[in-house]
Amino acid sequence: MFFRSALRTSLSAGLMVAAMASASAQVLEIATDNGPTGLDPHLITAFPSFMVVNGNIYEGLTSVDADLKINPGLAQSWNVSSDGKTYTFKLRPGVKFHDGSDMTAEDVVSSIKRVQSKEIASPLASRLSAVESASAVDPQTVELKLKEPSAALLSSLATIAIVPSEMEANKDALQKTPVGTGPFKFQEWQPNGYILLTKNENYWEQGLPKLGGLKFNIVPETATRQVGLVNGQYALLPNIDAATALQVKGKPNVKIDETMDLAYTLIGMNVSKPPFDNPKVREALNYALNRQEIVDAALFGAGVPGGPLSPALKSWALDVKEFPCYTHDPAKAQALLKEAGVSTPVAVTLKVLPRQDIKDIAQVVQEQLNNAGFKVELVNQEQGQFIQDWRNSNFDMFASINAGQPDPDEYFYRTFRTGGSTNVFKYSDAEVDQLLDRARTLQDQSARKADYDKVQRKLACSGPVAHLTYGTLFSAMRDKLQGYEVMPNRSLSTLRDATY
Amino acid sequence: MSRVLLARLIDLAIVLFGVSIIVFLMIRLIPGDAVAIMLGANTEITPERMAELNRRVGLDRPIVEQYLIWAGSALQGDFGTSLWTGRPVAEEILIHLWPTLELTFLSLLIGAVLAVPVGCLMAQTRGGAADVVMRVTAIAGLTIPSFWLGIVMILLLSMLAPGFASLGYVPFSEDPLGNLQRMLLPSIALALPILANLSRLVRSAMLDALGQDYIRTARAKGVPERRVVYKHALRNALIPFLTSVGIMTGYLLGGAIVVEQVFAIPGLGRLILGAIAERNYPLIQATILVVTAGFVLVNFLVDMLYVVVDPRVRA
Repeated sequence: MFFRSALRTSLSAGLMVAAMASASAQVLEIATDNGPTGLDPHLITAFPSFMVVNGNIYEGLTSVDADLKINPGLAQSWNVSSDGKTYTFKLRPGVKFHDGSDMTAEDVVSSIKRVQSKEIASPLASRLSAVESASAVDPQTVELKLKEPSAALLSSLATIAIVPSEMEANKDALQKTPVGTGPFKFQEWQPNGYILLTKNENYWEQGLPKLGGLKFNIVPETATRQVGLVNGQYALLPNIDAATALQVKGKPNVKIDETMDLAYTLIGMNVSKPPFDNPKVREALNYALNRQEIVDAALFGAGVPGGPLSPALKSWALDVKEFPCYTHDPAKAQALLKEAGVSTPVAVTLKVLPRQDIKDIAQVVQEQLNNAGFKVELVNQEQGQFIQDWRNSNFDMFASINAGQPDPDEYFYRTFRTGGSTNVFKYSDAEVDQLLDRARTLQDQSARKADYDKVQRKLACSGPVAHLTYGTLFSAMRDKLQGYEVMPNRSLSTLRDATY
Repeated sequence: MSRVLLARLIDLAIVLFGVSIIVFLMIRLIPGDAVAIMLGANTEITPERMAELNRRVGLDRPIVEQYLIWAGSALQGDFGTSLWTGRPVAEEILIHLWPTLELTFLSLLIGAVLAVPVGCLMAQTRGGAADVVMRVTAIAGLTIPSFWLGIVMILLLSMLAPGFASLGYVPFSEDPLGNLQRMLLPSIALALPILANLSRLVRSAMLDALGQDYIRTARAKGVPERRVVYKHALRNALIPFLTSVGIMTGYLLGGAIVVEQVFAIPGLGRLILGAIAERNYPLIQATILVVTAGFVLVNFLVDMLYVVVDPRVRA
């Protein structure tokens, strides 16, 4: 009996697979190192979850392309009032959720309320902190009223997924079974195995997606992913580091795509206690660092020394040549330490995020600082411990990597503003505060740029963060995969245009 | 017999109770709480939101209360839900249990079945060239780490048979052939150290048995050598063998983390590892209880088998 039913299941499954293969295009086999912890787009923040849902299952009112330009998403167009406090979005007609219902202004309003709601406790709420109210003018028009003008709003909205309005108060359903508007819809999640998305036949952009689906295989071992790509079991290894990319480079039928990463490596300093409460010590640390050497030694040369903003943000970032302290000068560092009046060598601990690239970087940094009047002790930590210490500002220094955002305000305000939500350094500077407060409300691009230039100069040498490097981000794929582009923010949203 | 069973059941209950308390406390002593880890480093969030998230998953209550709530529903067979996905923990464990059971079964089958003839052969050819070769191979099998062996096997196979799907997992009920294909390499990787271990054990137990007086008597009365080895000697050598197999089964049921990582198999090892990394307390607690129960039950089964193998134990 059992055997017969098992046989029947396997037969019908076999038939189904055969039918699917002949009826539609191929499912793209993707291999990633970590599985998501959940799929609710308003609750997740980690890369493995973001990669699955962003742009594939869910879309926002706006979208960001591979050049980080803001494009229309579920909103076809928008108007901004002259005081910059009212945004009116015209929604794209004919958009359907994966459950078949129409996407209307009501869903947009509910999604924004859901992110802001206390019960859902979305970590994305601060991205909408400027939004006072959202209302549906008619089924195709949404109006957002702001407390104050917010220059980063359109960029932030690209990361706020639109979900069906009945989910507004539902905490759990979307974590397991996402319902979005994107080119792929959720099919199956086998924890520690894979996540399978299939083609959304009713996608609003005619003719897309061209792929039959996406299968995110969760493969923790790097060597296994590499072999799987080379022998064709996997078609795409997205967002990998230089070491992994070099291993598969030049293998038959494998190609590599790369871009400048928005994510940056950094040394964070606690300015609420000695020795880094003294700006001269922070400046000395910057002189002591040799960023090019870090790139060469720890990133296999795949990256660039970077300042407070990623060089990928071409219209914002200053060239690092503009920062005097970026010239490697151990003697100057020693002199600054003497000026600061601290006893040398300055003994400090450096807590290290448990990732191979960060561990490598930390060792190089230790060596460089020890040659310039510091005495650095490395503390390798388990992930949970590191995060806890980070959040509680329990560190002298830490080495880490952070995701970057397309708009400077999204990074600077929360990180360097007095009392900012991720200002774990306890940094407080009246001039920086004033510039950040003003720049986020300015409409004029060049005036904003002038303010952020000042902020960058100030932060580069004596800020609480020594920005180290911006890496090159790689994706390795079978050369049959066409149309996919690796994106600086690690989104896989270009897969909607890809063919295999 | 029923008295023995009852005593064992009481043992099991005591062990499970003790383990549940130890696990409950230990995982909460590890620094880093579930909410902070879910958010990751550098997420913008206010302390009020953090508190909301803690309340959302019930981690804001006093620890004793948390334990009582959990133990109360666990006693009724409800292990609660996974912290962030809301998926029932029992379902999550069941999904990961199958690959582990299959790996355990296959690797023990390969390892234990081969170990008996190899061990006997080693004992029979003691000191000879064949014995030396097999012993050296066995030591190599014990010392080569299975993750290295796994990766080498994947590399070799992808060169020799590029079309052979060796990574990941498909349930047997969906695709029996694909399932066995994918289980082949990990089973071998797990079986080799088992084979090495057990064959050495069989060898020494056999050497011991073959030196006994009753073997000499059997040979003297003209029993064929095959029968002397496999019937008279082997049966006496089986007791330590069974004990070892039992312990190994217990360990394998806990999940073979390294091999599961290398071959991308969603077994219990990766479930526990992932649950610990994200401090998924309900999942860790239930999984470890299940694994513990498995360990105790397997040992109980082995004890029962002693009775079958060795009539002297019955008395």
